Amino acid sequence: MERETGVWRLVFLALPLGVFTVLVIWPLASSFYYSFTNWNGFSDNFEFVGFSNFNKLWTDKLFFNAAVNTAIWMVAAVLIPTLLGLGLALLIDSRIPGGPVFKSIFYFPICLSAVVVGQIWIWIYQPDWGLLNVAIGAVTGSSPDFAWLAKPDTALGSVIAAWAWQHTGLAMVIYLAGLTSIPEDLLEVCEIEGASTWQRLRVVIIPLLTPATVVVVALNVINSLKGFEILYIMTGGGPFNSSDTLAMHMYNESFKKYLMGYGSAISVVLFIVALTIIGIYFRELKKVDEIYG
Amino acid sequence: MANAHSAAPAGREFNPWPAVIFIVLVCLAVLFLAPTAGVLLSSVKTTREIALGDLWSFPTRLYLGNFIEVLNKPAVHQYLINTLMVTVPATAASIALGVLAGYVFAKLPFRGSEALFLVIVAGMFFPPQVILIPLYRLFNAVGLIDTLYPVILIHIAMGMPICTLLMRNFFATVPNALREAAILEGASEWQVLTRVALPLSLPALAVLATLQFTWIWNDFLWPLIFTQSDEKRTIMLGIVNLKGQYSVAWGIQGALSLVASLPTLIVFLFFQRYFIKGMTMGAVKG
Amino acid sequence: MARLVLDNITKSFGTVQVINGIDLAIAHREFVVFVGPSGCGKSTMLRMIAGLESVSGGRIVIGDRDVTHVAPSKREIAMVFQSYALFPHLTVAENIGFGLRLANTPKAEIDRQVGEVARTLQIEQLLERKPRHLSGGQRQRVAIGRSIIRNPKVFLFDEPLSNLDASLRVQMRLEIARLHQRLDATMVYVTHDQTEAMSLADRIVVFNAGRIEQVGTPIELYEKPANTFVAGFIGAPSMNFIEARIDSSGGAPIARFGPASIPLADAERRFQPGGVTLGVRPEHILIAEGRTPDFTATVEIVEKLGAESLVYLQTGFSPDPVTMRVSPEHPVKPGDSLPLCLDQNRVHCFASDGAAI
Repeated sequence: MERETGVWRLVFLALPLGVFTVLVIWPLASSFYYSFTNWNGFSDNFEFVGFSNFNKLWTDKLFFNAAVNTAIWMVAAVLIPTLLGLGLALLIDSRIPGGPVFKSIFYFPICLSAVVVGQIWIWIYQPDWGLLNVAIGAVTGSSPDFAWLAKPDTALGSVIAAWAWQHTGLAMVIYLAGLTSIPEDLLEVCEIEGASTWQRLRVVIIPLLTPATVVVVALNVINSLKGFEILYIMTGGGPFNSSDTLAMHMYNESFKKYLMGYGSAISVVLFIVALTIIGIYFRELKKVDEIYG
Repeated sequence: MANAHSAAPAGREFNPWPAVIFIVLVCLAVLFLAPTAGVLLSSVKTTREIALGDLWSFPTRLYLGNFIEVLNKPAVHQYLINTLMVTVPATAASIALGVLAGYVFAKLPFRGSEALFLVIVAGMFFPPQVILIPLYRLFNAVGLIDTLYPVILIHIAMGMPICTLLMRNFFATVPNALREAAILEGASEWQVLTRVALPLSLPALAVLATLQFTWIWNDFLWPLIFTQSDEKRTIMLGIVNLKGQYSVAWGIQGALSLVASLPTLIVFLFFQRYFIKGMTMGAVKG
Repeated sequence: MARLVLDNITKSFGTVQVINGIDLAIAHREFVVFVGPSGCGKSTMLRMIAGLESVSGGRIVIGDRDVTHVAPSKREIAMVFQSYALFPHLTVAENIGFGLRLANTPKAEIDRQVGEVARTLQIEQLLERKPRHLSGGQRQRVAIGRSIIRNPKVFLFDEPLSNLDASLRVQMRLEIARLHQRLDATMVYVTHDQTEAMSLADRIVVFNAGRIEQVGTPIELYEKPANTFVAGFIGAPSMNFIEARIDSSGGAPIARFGPASIPLADAERRFQPGGVTLGVRPEHILIAEGRTPDFTATVEIVEKLGAESLVYLQTGFSPDPVTMRVSPEHPVKPGDSLPLCLDQNRVHCFASDGAAI
């Protein structure tokens, strides 16, 4: 019996593990290998160059720029959808009519592709007839033609707004699920103890949403780390690298300049960042589990 | 007695808050819909109307020329076919692999299976750029660059973490007694999976199909890396490609975006419930 | 004075009326238990007293104050929930001091009061723990602590012991009884468990289908149930019901069932000729030793409970088995035929509408 089970395990796992090993695990491992080489993407002749790719990171101003942008991008791309999503969830949860409709409206952008979202927002920021300039014009009475995506000061922020628009709904639905899992009697205790709306929110609801918050933040961190496509579509990292992120920089170095070795070194850095975040996530998840079960 | 008068008579007083919240939500909803409305509006207007600064006004007449132009374009047909050829097999295969692996992790655990499961699930968290270069070299070596195969294969592999996670969690809710009863009746493990576990897990399969279809349809990165010629591009790349061709034909771009998003929008409309479930399920246990 | 008056309370959800005109006056310091099957409206009534549920009609008075439309927090009540309703993210001390913190009480004062309550409940060593690390009984104590610290006029308990295992339930029951003796407060306690009701209550209120069936002390309910519902609900094992006919032809009324007949000599009771339901508690069926038996029955099953044995009997006149208690030493076994008689002074009679005669 036990032997038979062992055979079935092997049969069931062979294909999934094979595919996963060849297309995920092995490439991950060889990324480390390539980061120590000067492979250019075509020739089979490449050399082992030790730590020189990593040393180059320290002197690469563009890498530093991309790292800073990635940090800004991640902080904003995590905070804004999380806070907006929480706010929307609290509003929708207050039993107003049309809740499901509102939910769908705020959530549907998640099913659009980065390309389409980028397209939509390029139009919003269009200098001549973009909605943003039109709206500002309508309010101020002037006719601005500010090119939001073409100015280094506003490019990254503009993409972040588009990103937030698409991802707020995700945070919202997770918070809504979290809100429904708060036991009714805990809220009744608040009523009996005479908590004000604000106290109820601060002392009870938001702390009780901690499991949802951990998930929302983790998801946003992960997604924002992957957030390459929308930057590629909307700004391509420009102007003057003002919206260049690590993922973008890695793409440019590898597939534009064909410095695959150096690109691998950047992806190793990305990997370490992601690994750190996963570590923190699982630790927090365990802590939250301790309290909330 | 003084207290009785100062206290709010519960349930009797007019409460303004629901109305205020409702109005706030309506305003936010309008704000949220405005960007999409732009695309919809542009797609039914002529280029001239848009160039005259008339994009955001309500159309006086429905101009369908943009859609006709887009739908009659052979390149668009090719893009859509390519996208389907990637999305359908990749969705099906990634779910199938997830079912197999998830079943073992849920019902046939072994020493170290928990660790193995975590390794697979962790794959969900990594930026795909991390494995880009080695995969490029791999498919270059086997001569599959500029075909759809690498895109399909990578989507299968990249979809495995979420599929395995969801299927394992779902199979874990199927009572062990069902499996044991079937085995006592003489069923093989394969029969248990296909005759007992799978028929029970249709909701989970629906969740995964919805998620995977949407993600793969919408993907941009992998076809960008692995396809080069126009005949091999998927629709999302097609939009970007045609952008050059129709640089000021805003209406056509709008119509194209709409056509490209239609499948996922339909899936979203009909399977929203599963979509949300998948997002929260995958997230909560991640 | 913390009396509690319910004056013609009604409650409907949509068109469904779940509470049909409840009138009840609860005295200061009284321990009143609402008991009834699930869905009888007892919990809804308690939640209306707390203010968690609005009333559809009627008045609620606590002390001298009409609180019908007063917010829960202003009613001077405290409630203990079945699920304990402890905040998982707060420590025991923070849970107990929750209300004081909301009222912006100085930290030192909160600590003092929490310490005092913890001492009373003997949970001082748990103060820094989170609810997750407490046992069920400890959690319930913390929940009670949170209600004591409010110093309420009325304590409301909503099935507080249902989530505990049997032995712990008995222990916590005692503690609640002690608490009532020590505190100068009125208590209203909801349970579906009649044993809990009997052991705790000064007065029991039996609910059924949104109305009160009977109000009385435990002994009153036991000895003088107003109707078959109360008679069947109170007491374990349940009262036996036997269909009988009244025969008044010989002057004094006689109840006839099967081969048996018993005189119903009681000057106060007025019997109409026709059908009645006799109610006999298991302890009032006796083995006829040396007396003429009223009837004989066959033993079907014997449950040996240690302190007593329960015997389930097959009779010719009742479709359901009749239950009786015997001493554990009695050598009765299944298949035995027992000569039995009824303790005629303890036989209850109910009319066809269920009301006691």
